[in-house]
Amino acid sequence: MSTAALAPEWLTAREIALCPCGCIGKRRKANFVEKTIIGAANVLKQAMFSADVASQPGLLQRIQPAVKVVTMLALLMATAVVRHLSILVALYAATLAIAVASGLPLWFFVKRVWLFIPIFTGVIVVPATLNLITPGRVVIPLGTWFGHSVGVTAQGLTSAGLIVARVATSISLVVLLTLTTPWNKLLAALRTMRVPKMFVLVLGMAYRYIFYLLETVTDMYTARKSRTANHRNNTSSGRAFVAATAGATFGKAHALSIEVHDAMVARGYTGNARSIDHFQIVKRDVVWVLACSVTIAATLGVNYALGS
Amino acid sequence: MPSAVDIAAFDASVCAREDQEIFRVEHATFSYLERFPALNDVSLTVRRGEKVALLGANGCGKSTLLKVLDGLLFADRGSFHAFGAEVTEANLEDEQFNEGFRTRVGFVFQNSDAQVFSPTVREEIAFGPLNLGLSIDATQQRVHDVMRMLEISDLAERAPYQLSGGQKKRVAIASVLAMNPEVLLFDEPTAALDPRTQSWLIDLILELNQSGKTIIIATHDLATLDVLADRCVVFSEDHQIVADGPPGTILRDTELLISVNLLHDHAHDHGSTSHTHPHDESHHDSHREH
Repeated sequence: MSTAALAPEWLTAREIALCPCGCIGKRRKANFVEKTIIGAANVLKQAMFSADVASQPGLLQRIQPAVKVVTMLALLMATAVVRHLSILVALYAATLAIAVASGLPLWFFVKRVWLFIPIFTGVIVVPATLNLITPGRVVIPLGTWFGHSVGVTAQGLTSAGLIVARVATSISLVVLLTLTTPWNKLLAALRTMRVPKMFVLVLGMAYRYIFYLLETVTDMYTARKSRTANHRNNTSSGRAFVAATAGATFGKAHALSIEVHDAMVARGYTGNARSIDHFQIVKRDVVWVLACSVTIAATLGVNYALGS
Repeated sequence: MPSAVDIAAFDASVCAREDQEIFRVEHATFSYLERFPALNDVSLTVRRGEKVALLGANGCGKSTLLKVLDGLLFADRGSFHAFGAEVTEANLEDEQFNEGFRTRVGFVFQNSDAQVFSPTVREEIAFGPLNLGLSIDATQQRVHDVMRMLEISDLAERAPYQLSGGQKKRVAIASVLAMNPEVLLFDEPTAALDPRTQSWLIDLILELNQSGKTIIIATHDLATLDVLADRCVVFSEDHQIVADGPPGTILRDTELLISVNLLHDHAHDHGSTSHTHPHDESHHDSHREH
């Protein structure tokens, strides 16, 4: 018997979908389903943008990834020991210049760095500016608290400026590295630097499957969106859906991991990660290393000369 | 550990004759989690250079048999011999045996997302040859050659999430071909591919077979069967092999195809799709009879 013959009567009748009077419904804000779909798309957009930036010709893009990783680490260490705001400001200005020379959109670069500053340093820096934490000359009085005068001190501001400048310069260096190096090259660089290959393999696969699972989650949310005709807020059903999505994603990830392992074993994998990458140092890498060495030496020298 | 005799028999396969039996499955029975049966007393022999299609409805055991043939699953009961040596979990733990077996048998999975797991296409294709002990130079040469052959050289540095379904399938096939296996196992190779990619893939499979590779395909796509296979092995829904013969004979046996749920008795009443394929004469015949 055909499926059509078994279909109930309501299934063959037409639903009144759009109101025939042409009235206009109530506008509503995007709910968590739409926001998640948009968020997932943005993650993908960001990844594509980073990949595009990393593959364009520029100063840092031309440097071997392993060389870049080592020099950036050295610069980070130098930044960590600097105790003078003026030197840190100079280093930060240098990162801006390198970003421009590497073809990074300057506003995007600045925004990406400074977006993290309030989150990572605000909690520490704001109280440290007050005379309650850092005693000293009060330059901005704020009032009294339990009989004590409270205000922002000059010493507190200097310390806060030092921390903010150090964090900004450090994040800039890391952002420079990650934005100008394709992810796979960064992993390859880690392998050449004797980071355990198994660790790098797992890291690479995790990054690769984030996008697959993101696609899976987006599909689930899109499927829900396509079946949502009435937008009445129902928090409990929303929570149940989010929990079900998380559970289903875990399930799919588990099934996928078994399949991936089979695919690896089928191609001779026996537990030893091997890599095709081998890097060759060229003249410009040597020049870059020399430039970084001079910068680090000058930074430490000036820092020492200026004293504490 | 395999015995010395096993390895000697395995290595002797290199200079085997054209009509040599390469796979022999005897009375294999397998259940997932010891609860869900997938193979029920399955016996099968595959000879060098054959194009074998494993036919059956969803869940009949085709993919499970492919995994047994690739040494990824092991029968609960029964045995599996490849190139004259028994393939067991213990034997595959021997490095030499494992390398020999993996070099000779390649498996293209149905889900390309599971097979394409490396950060870039180039690394993906290099994975197999590197694991089989090829040098970096030899691997790079193979990666280059295979990418050129499958026309994916421009995708070399792409990440998998930047590939379309068809491109992922090409990369998955390239990653297997780079190992130059004697036997290629395909799980539903034409599923979810657009007509142009399907046609490209069919041509490639035929070309590989003409160059001496043995092809084993799990499918329920009857339309391409007489091109892709010169032998069909039909699975019933209770996980047994119920027929084994040339595609012409199998496709004409409408009663058999209906009984294994490969053909619906109502399918002939509906228009054109399966009947317009120029190679599928059996469908025309059965349609006329109905």
